Amino acid sequence: PEETVTSSFASFIREVRPEHLSKTVRHRSKRMILDSIGVGLVGSTTHVFDLALQYCRELYSSVAVSSVYGKPGVKLSPTLAAFTNGVATHSMDFDDTWHPATHPSGAVLPALLAASQMLPPSTKPNGMDFLLAFNVGLEVQGRLMHFSTEAHNIPKRFHPPSVVGTLGSAAATAKLLSLSTAQCAHALGIAASLAGAPMANAATQAKPLHIGNATRLGFEAALLAARGMEANPLILDDIPGCSGFSVFYSIYQPKPLSTPSDHHEFLLEKQDIAFKRFPAHLGMHWVVDAALSVRNLFINYAGSFSPSLIRTIVLKIPVSKYINRPFPSSEHQARHSFQFNACAALLDGEVGLSSFKESSIHRQELRELLDKVVVEHPEDNVANFDKMYGEVALLLHSGDVLTGKCDTFYGHWRKPLSKESLLKKFRSNASHVLPEEKIETIITMVENLENLSDSSQL
Amino acid sequence: TITGNFANVIHGLNANHLTDQVIQRSKRMILDTLGVGLLGTNTEVCHKVTQYSKIYSSDISSTIWGHSDFRLPPLYAAFVNGVAVHSMDFDDTWHPATHPSGAVLPAVIALSEAFPQKKKISGLDLLLAFNVGIEVQGRLLRFSSEARNIPKRFHPPTVVGTMGSAAACAKLLALDQSKCKNALAVAASYAGAPLANAATQTKPLHIGNAAKHGLEAACLASQGLQGNKQILDMESGIGAFYTDYNPQTLPTLQSYPWLLDQQDVAIKRFPAHLGTHWVADAASSVRRKLVESSDNLLPLHKIEKVILKVPEVKYVNRPSPTSEHEARHSFQFVACSALLDGSMSVQSFNSENIHRPALRELLCKTQLEHPPDNTPSFDSLYCEVSVTLQDGNTISDCCDTFYGHWRKPLKKEDLEKKFQSNASSTLSAEATEGIIETVYNLEKVEDCSVL
Repeated sequence: PEETVTSSFASFIREVRPEHLSKTVRHRSKRMILDSIGVGLVGSTTHVFDLALQYCRELYSSVAVSSVYGKPGVKLSPTLAAFTNGVATHSMDFDDTWHPATHPSGAVLPALLAASQMLPPSTKPNGMDFLLAFNVGLEVQGRLMHFSTEAHNIPKRFHPPSVVGTLGSAAATAKLLSLSTAQCAHALGIAASLAGAPMANAATQAKPLHIGNATRLGFEAALLAARGMEANPLILDDIPGCSGFSVFYSIYQPKPLSTPSDHHEFLLEKQDIAFKRFPAHLGMHWVVDAALSVRNLFINYAGSFSPSLIRTIVLKIPVSKYINRPFPSSEHQARHSFQFNACAALLDGEVGLSSFKESSIHRQELRELLDKVVVEHPEDNVANFDKMYGEVALLLHSGDVLTGKCDTFYGHWRKPLSKESLLKKFRSNASHVLPEEKIETIITMVENLENLSDSSQL
Repeated sequence: TITGNFANVIHGLNANHLTDQVIQRSKRMILDTLGVGLLGTNTEVCHKVTQYSKIYSSDISSTIWGHSDFRLPPLYAAFVNGVAVHSMDFDDTWHPATHPSGAVLPAVIALSEAFPQKKKISGLDLLLAFNVGIEVQGRLLRFSSEARNIPKRFHPPTVVGTMGSAAACAKLLALDQSKCKNALAVAASYAGAPLANAATQTKPLHIGNAAKHGLEAACLASQGLQGNKQILDMESGIGAFYTDYNPQTLPTLQSYPWLLDQQDVAIKRFPAHLGTHWVADAASSVRRKLVESSDNLLPLHKIEKVILKVPEVKYVNRPSPTSEHEARHSFQFVACSALLDGSMSVQSFNSENIHRPALRELLCKTQLEHPPDNTPSFDSLYCEVSVTLQDGNTISDCCDTFYGHWRKPLKKEDLEKKFQSNASSTLSAEATEGIIETVYNLEKVEDCSVL
């Protein structure tokens, strides 16, 4: 039968083997796994996490075999554990970001962790299987995003993790569960009917649900496919007059995946991930690095950071409605505000977890700084994570102008976090809920993931 | 904001606002939906989701229609029953196009069963919540001109159905205005499935998920989860699902004008896509004329070709369906089936009937034409069936309003007959009559869990 795009994906998911993972890909994906777990652990201390957990516990109890980040005694049914952990991962907007834009790991890892606990002892996947399935989940997401030029820029309509993340989770779980090629195709098809959440809920408490649902619903799709549920076998192909996956994009050009012969090149090989240094939208990171650099200039100039000397703060940023907030009032809004992050960086010399606490957000000095902010959208500043830059200019009362500019923040794929920085982030996150030995154990386990015999230990 | 306005209305509507016509029509919808759901629990797709959902059994639980042997958590009961309702494409259809009841009824019933002993829900509460769910769907559909025609991108029940379910459950849970807004906001993040899964086994999940996710959104909102309070106002909110989106505020609660009052639903007489109902009525009438002139037998061998003049609807254009799901979405299949048998029924879609040689032969002689004046809208489309015989004669008939359409609603006896026929697949005769009784007197029922 003629090769359709959908069947090429199904074949890929089914046929790809550990041998196809290159060294770079293995290395990068292990970094992602570590970061994702850490972010999930710290996320288990948030309010939105509590809501999700309470919800799941009240409504379900049986077949509770899967663990929840940061809650040692608690177990939930697999898809709900995935849901809860997914919410944890994205709860503080601290998780990884890729190009084209999405948060790939949070949509995949929780499902795999839950699934591996679900499988009986005799068929437990080993570390290599796990790593492979994880990468299948990432690869599918990346490939799907390349089907539309729309995906290259910061999103406006649908929140990408809810679109490609759901299918990525379905693919990854299908791989872990060793579904047949046909079942893999159906998993993708069912998942498409569970995908798609609008951008409007970004910067609200509901946003973390997008990742939670992506990982949970993709997982459900794979489980349903495993039980024989069938969907449209052309879901990824372009069928005029009757939309499949194309419905989420206005321009859609699907391409088949090559069957993994000896040398399949994973997208992760060519395009690395950005890890966040502080829990806010990725766009904030440019502005913060620029603000920190101008702050240094200012301190050299004036001896110390004296806000009263500043007349105006000019931010040169790309156009993106949902991250342009002059006066955020909640932590969720603050994480999605160029203005807030610039001012916090200027005031404190750094931006971290505590910057987003209620008391921090409403500080008088911060509010005063915010009042001085003016935003500009230079034409050359494109709303695209590969091309954008952030510039912060301090216009002083004295007439002098100090500027800081950042086109690649530390943590971006062009300037990846060093191993030490990544571990520092993980340790700091995990320490909120885990004792030191456990933390070190996880680090070691992830580093040697390929050699792990039973991935559910993770 | 429009979102705030919706929340106010959901919160503020009470039983006194229900008009007689709305009550009558919604009870008909409830009865029909229950019957269709009961029948649907026998389908393969329903068996699969039931097996799947059994993973999640727990203390709080609700029933699967027609199966008192086990219970599921409310979410999964809503899911399974929703799948049952849409499993055979036998459920109601509205204008603008969606399947309103299947997304709402399973959720409100499951929720009402989950209430603790001391807080009984009355029949009237259920009826009101049900209507809130329907109304919200209708209002949302009017925010885009795209919605007037048969869909091409997103399957409407997955967009507005999820929102309707959330609204209905929010009503039943008596959430305050703020939480109603959040329920709508959270629901939006679950909405939207592409049309490509129509005519496959996954389609019934669209209604099941709409019911389940709407319920989940309401529960999460009830626990305090917050979303975007302008979810209905923004283009990047519910607007994301449409290319043109113009939201409007709802009318004031003062003598509230329900959409169901102005626009009734269509109830299906056989389990297939609504578009095929026009074709069936036209084909049956053509058959009557044909057999008149030849001793009551359809002269198959004398038929040269069959031409169907239908609107252009890609996903119902299937010249040669192979599965029941495809057959239910095929103008050609239903036309030929009706020509052969005189009428359509549940059995018309079973395997033997789909594959019978006589039908296959007739299908080969069938063609579609799309006259430009035949718009793909359930309010204005028509179907013409023309059979050309070998001797050159052509017998044709046209149907612009099939029996069951909102312009020609099913009579009470026929609605009951459909229900009885459906329910008898899983319930006893007295249980069946009991349900009919209860639904007809729903306002007076004190404890709707008897349903």
